[in-house]
Amino acid sequence: MFRYIVRHFNLLVVTLFVLSLFSFSLAYLFPGDPLVNLSGETIQSEQHREVLIEKYRFNESVVLQYTRYIGLLFEGDWGLSKSSGLPLYDEIMHSLPASIELATYALLLSLIIGIPLGFLAGLKHHKATDYSLLAISVMGYSVPVFWMALLMILVFSLQLGWLPLSGRISLLFDVPHTSGFILLDIMLSDIKNKETAIVNALQHMVMPVLSITIVTSAIILRLTRRSVIEVMPKGFIQAAYTRGLSDYQVFMRHGMRNSLLPIIPLLAMQSTTLFTNAMIVEVIYSWPGIGDWLIQAIYQRDFPAIRAGMLAVSALVVLLTVSIDLFAKLIDPTRDKSAHVTI
Amino acid sequence: MPLLDIKNLTLEIDAAGGWIKALDMVNLTIDSGEIRALVGESGSGKSLIVKAIVGAIPEHWRIRADRMTWKGRDLLTMSVAERRIIMRNDIAVVFQDPINSLDPSASLGQQLMESIPNQLLEKGWIWNRNQQRRQIATKLLHKVGIREAELCLRSYPHEIADDICQKFMIATALVSAPRLLIADDPTRGMEITTKTQILKLMTQLNKTRDLSILFVSHDLLAISSMADTMTVLYCGQTVESGKMTQLRKRPLHPYTKALLDSAPSFRKDLPPKSTLTSLNGSIPTFQHLPIGCRLGPRCPRAQKECVKVPNVRRIHEHYYSCHFPLHRDQQ
Repeated sequence: MFRYIVRHFNLLVVTLFVLSLFSFSLAYLFPGDPLVNLSGETIQSEQHREVLIEKYRFNESVVLQYTRYIGLLFEGDWGLSKSSGLPLYDEIMHSLPASIELATYALLLSLIIGIPLGFLAGLKHHKATDYSLLAISVMGYSVPVFWMALLMILVFSLQLGWLPLSGRISLLFDVPHTSGFILLDIMLSDIKNKETAIVNALQHMVMPVLSITIVTSAIILRLTRRSVIEVMPKGFIQAAYTRGLSDYQVFMRHGMRNSLLPIIPLLAMQSTTLFTNAMIVEVIYSWPGIGDWLIQAIYQRDFPAIRAGMLAVSALVVLLTVSIDLFAKLIDPTRDKSAHVTI
Repeated sequence: MPLLDIKNLTLEIDAAGGWIKALDMVNLTIDSGEIRALVGESGSGKSLIVKAIVGAIPEHWRIRADRMTWKGRDLLTMSVAERRIIMRNDIAVVFQDPINSLDPSASLGQQLMESIPNQLLEKGWIWNRNQQRRQIATKLLHKVGIREAELCLRSYPHEIADDICQKFMIATALVSAPRLLIADDPTRGMEITTKTQILKLMTQLNKTRDLSILFVSHDLLAISSMADTMTVLYCGQTVESGKMTQLRKRPLHPYTKALLDSAPSFRKDLPPKSTLTSLNGSIPTFQHLPIGCRLGPRCPRAQKECVKVPNVRRIHEHYYSCHFPLHRDQQ
């Protein structure tokens, strides 16, 4: 077990190192003065330049510049946003939880929808249920997220007027920012009408979450279905049937675990897709998350913000992928392939 | 009345070129307390018969039989639930490769204990029952000759040796005190000492528990040491069946004779360095089955009539299906 933790930790460290290297080199690769790209401050005078050179060690070699950059990253000094002039660390920590919240709800919902439907489709392989679920999932998989989001806005907010158009919560509620997760914030805050605020926040959440869920649950459905189809004809399932277990018992005791184990790492791979979709959806619904923020930064050619935002998002995705992968390894009983019972 | 009675079982499989009769008019009976050997080359459909008996045939294959009964009850027409009850209480199977018949993600203890039927447990609370299950499991493992039972129950399938796995499979099969044990090539790929252990175990069970065994194998030496009766299968057709002693002494079907001759340990008069006899050719694939008697193209005694399927004939307890059986010459 220790071996796996060390191995995954190594993987994490190396990947993050490469990412940070890339993010540092972006300062040189982006147009303009690397010093400005790193700090986000507009250089007003020679003295100011001297101060910045001193701060980022720009009078020394690139290697030392990089180590200084890493040091500043850990100190929380990520530079300033060129457009707003605020510290990037604060801005990212402000908008990242909103994205995480959106992605988490979407992922949970897709797991709740995708896995049981995948089981159903896999168990009813070559039957009408399987084909219809597969057809629905192909549709869900192929519809572009942004188009779906726009259609939902058109139908549910403009035509029917059931759901709010955009944003996270109505402007009437003044929820102070504590954790960044809107539902948690409402519960922690001491505003009046907490229930109405929560209902309002949930109403705002329905469409963004749904538009991400459709694609993700279609993917999860297909992964689960494929895995069930591969597991069910195996020898041990047949053997379990010959022991006189019922369909339900065989599936619950042997089929389910064995079909879920191999797809957990595959689900980790999907977290990238999930985050990308979340970022697209944020732009459309003006959800104040990291995606919306990054797109704004790109529009405004805010290079320090692009650099820091890219680093934050990719580090999060790497962390998530590696930890899910590690989790999958740790719960897999077949991981240690060594015999310990002998004759 | 025999325990299991199969008459003219035909199984059709859909292949690229249409429906193929993988099993053609197979007859098999197993009496109470009998060890019956089912012998045939690889690809002769032995495992298919086992699958047909336990009901593990894919739904879209066509299965037909004049008679396929378990204690007088028709297996083919009964409901899935009834069949499951029979499988749970009366019939147990040990499959060809034990490692693949065990769930890799569940401990052996879980798998053994789940097949303990509730009627074996005394009444009690859930936690009492679990303890009882564990005791029964440990006792069973001792019975089949696994010494470190506790360790074995805790292990996962990939952690134990092949022969222990096979013994474990026999233990799971015996847990419900079945009437019939179907052992599908249980000694495949084992060295001789473990093989003898397992064979001894099965003979013992047969004697002490009055357990009928269908022993599917192509290991003639093992079969002749333990089986009472034998059914010989060639290419999905039963060619001969009868008492083991009779069959060995005087085989009537050319295939049985060839099979017995091909095992050098059966022949005492074999001079050293002489060539072993064997039939020419090899077993046909299911895509290219000959019509009539399927041994036809390879049979040294084949004549024109052999393009028709021979009827089953009998001399006392000895059944054979051949137009030109070996005893005709001697008359």
